Amino acid sequence: MIQDVVWDVSIALMGSLAAVFAGVAAGAEVPLTNYGPAIASAYRLRTWLFALAVVVLVGVNYRALGALPYIANPAEQLGLAVKRADASGQQWSWTVQPNSFVVGQTVEFYVTSKDVNHGFGLYDPHMHLVAQTQAMPGFTNVLRYTFTEAGTYQVLCLEYCGLGHHLMNTQINVAAH
Amino acid sequence: MTGIEAVGSRSRINATAAVRAYLATCGIVLLLMMLLGLTMRLAQAQWIDVEPNLFYVVMTMHGAGMVGIAGLGGAAVMWHFVRRYVPVSTAIFVANLVFFLIGAALILGAGFIGGFAGAWTFLYPLPGHSGGLWSANGAAAYMAGLLVIGVGFLLLHLDIARGIISIYGGLGAGLGVKQAFGFAPEKDGPPPAVAAATMAAISNVIGIVVGAVVLILSLVNLYAPSFTFNTLAAKNLIYYFGHTFINVTIYMAVIAVYEILPVYTHRAWKTNRVFYLAWVLSTLMVLTVYPHHLLMDFAMPTSILVAGQIISWLSGLPVLLVTAFGALTNVYRSGLKWDAAAGLVFMGVAGWAIGIIPAVADGTIPVNSVMHNTQWVPGHFHTYLLLGMMAMMLGFMTYLAGPKSPSHLAPAGVWLYLIGGTTFVLAFLAAGSASVPRRYAVHLPAWLAYDRAGSIGASLAVAGALILIVRFLVSLRSPIDATP
Repeated sequence: MIQDVVWDVSIALMGSLAAVFAGVAAGAEVPLTNYGPAIASAYRLRTWLFALAVVVLVGVNYRALGALPYIANPAEQLGLAVKRADASGQQWSWTVQPNSFVVGQTVEFYVTSKDVNHGFGLYDPHMHLVAQTQAMPGFTNVLRYTFTEAGTYQVLCLEYCGLGHHLMNTQINVAAH
Repeated sequence: MTGIEAVGSRSRINATAAVRAYLATCGIVLLLMMLLGLTMRLAQAQWIDVEPNLFYVVMTMHGAGMVGIAGLGGAAVMWHFVRRYVPVSTAIFVANLVFFLIGAALILGAGFIGGFAGAWTFLYPLPGHSGGLWSANGAAAYMAGLLVIGVGFLLLHLDIARGIISIYGGLGAGLGVKQAFGFAPEKDGPPPAVAAATMAAISNVIGIVVGAVVLILSLVNLYAPSFTFNTLAAKNLIYYFGHTFINVTIYMAVIAVYEILPVYTHRAWKTNRVFYLAWVLSTLMVLTVYPHHLLMDFAMPTSILVAGQIISWLSGLPVLLVTAFGALTNVYRSGLKWDAAAGLVFMGVAGWAIGIIPAVADGTIPVNSVMHNTQWVPGHFHTYLLLGMMAMMLGFMTYLAGPKSPSHLAPAGVWLYLIGGTTFVLAFLAAGSASVPRRYAVHLPAWLAYDRAGSIGASLAVAGALILIVRFLVSLRSPIDATP
C-alpha cells in the first residue's frame, strides 16, 4: 500500500531531521573556538544537500506524474470495455448505480453532488482507502478503479458536508466471479 | 529625528503594552482553542460524550480560532521586531486587535449561539445548506466575523508595507530582490525581519482581498439563494485565501527565530544572496502553491494540479535549506545557555522543517489519492503549526516575559509541550496512514487506539502550554521597562 511506504519514508526522514536538531541542541552549550572552518564545511554540505534534494525532487515528481488519476478521455468515449457507475452525493447519503461488480472489472465512477461538496472515498474490505475524488455540484468527476479483491467495499464521505458527514456511507459489493 | 522616532512619538499608545495585549489575547485564546481540540480528540476516543451537532460546532470554532490566533501571534512577533527598522503605527496595530476581538465575538456567537458548523473553510455552498441546523444569520455572523478580522489584518499589512517603502523605497527592495539576483551588494540588503514582513505584506494583502471576494459572494448567496456561483471557482478562492493566510502566520513568526536566537548565540543571522533568494521564491510559491489543496478536484485543469504538486515540492527547499540550516549553523556549538525561550524558538524551526516532510508527501498526486482528507492532513499541519509556528510564538512570549518571571516551571512546560505535541501529531499521522478520515465526530472501534494516543498527547501539550502562558500572564505585573 502507498500509505505504508509514505508512513515509513516520512517517519524515517522526520526522525533523521529531529535527530539532527536534537544533536545540535545537545552540543550547543560547548563553544567552538574556531567557527570559521566549521561554517565553511557546513555550507559545502548544504550545496551537496541541495544537489541531492534536486535529484530526489526530479525523480519523485517524474515518477508520480506518470501515475495521475485524472482521465483525459473516459472509456465510454474511447469505446473501451469499462463498466460505468453513476455516483451522486446528497446530504447525507450516497446513490451508486450499479453497486455490484466482479474482481478484475474496471469501473468508471461518474461522481457528482446534488447539494454541497462531498468526497467520494472508496474503501476496500479492510477499510483501506484505495481511491477518491471530490463530488461537486455542477461538476462530474470520473474516477477509474479496477477491483482486485472480492468483498464489501464502502464509500465514505471525505469532504466535510455538515452535521451528518460521518454517517454518509454506502456499500459496494464485489464478487469473486 | 528619524522617521521611525517620528511615528513612535505621534502615538500615545505604548508599543510594548500593545504587544503584551496581543500576546495575552493569544495566550488565553490559544488555551481555549487547545481545550476545544482536546475535546474533539476525547470525543473521538469515546472517553467523553459530545453530540455530533456540538462536535462540529467545536470543530468549526477550533479551526477558525486557531487560524485567527496564529495570525494574531505572528503579527505580534512581526510588528514587535519590524518596528526596529521601519516606522509603523501603534494605533493601527491596536486597531487590528480591536477588529480581531469584534470578529472573534461574531464568530463565537455564530457557533455557540447560532449553531454554525460549516467548518472554518466555509466551503461554498455549505453555509447555505445547513439541513436546518443553523440559520442564515448564524452563517452570516461567521462570515462577517472573518471579514472584520480580514479588514484589521489588511490595515496592519498596508501600514507595515508603507513603513517599508518609506525606508527602502519599495517592496522589492524590502524583500531583497536586488540582492537575490546579484544586482546589489548583500551587505546593503534588508534585515531578515524586514524581508519577512515584506513577504507577509505582499502575500496577505492579495490573499485577504481574494478571501473578501468569496466571503461577500457567499453572504449574498445566503440571503438570495437564487444568486449562485461556480463551486469550483469558489473552492479556488477559498483555498487561495486560506492557504496564504495560514502560511503567512509561519513566515511572520519565524522573525522570532531571526531576532531571538542570535541574542543567545551571539552570532548574527547571516543574510546573503541565498537567503534573499529563498524569501523571493517563498513569496512566489506561497502565492501559487494553493492548487495542492485541489488535487482531488478532477475538474481542475490537469496542468494546474501538476504545477501544484511541483511547487509543493519546491516550496520545501527554502525552509529546509535556508531557515532550518541557518538555525542549525547559528546554534551549532555557539556556547548558548538554553532556557525556555531559546528552546521553544529552536523547537519552532525544527517543527516547521519536520512538518514539511509529510506535507510534501501529501502534495504528491498519487499519495493524495489515498491520503487526502484523512487524518494525515491534520497530522502534517499540526506538526508545523503546533510544534512550529506556535512554538515560535510561545518562545517569543517567554522571551518577552524575561528572566525575572518565575522560571522553574518553564522547562517543564517546554518538555510537556514537545513530548505531548509530538505524540499528538504522530497519532494523527499514523491514523492517516491507516485511512482514518478527518473531521468525523464518531469513529469506528478500530480507530480508537489512535484517538486515545492523540488524546494523551494533546493533554500533555495543553498542560505545557498552560504553564508557559500562565508564566507570561504573571509577568505582565512587571513594569514595561523590564521587557526585553
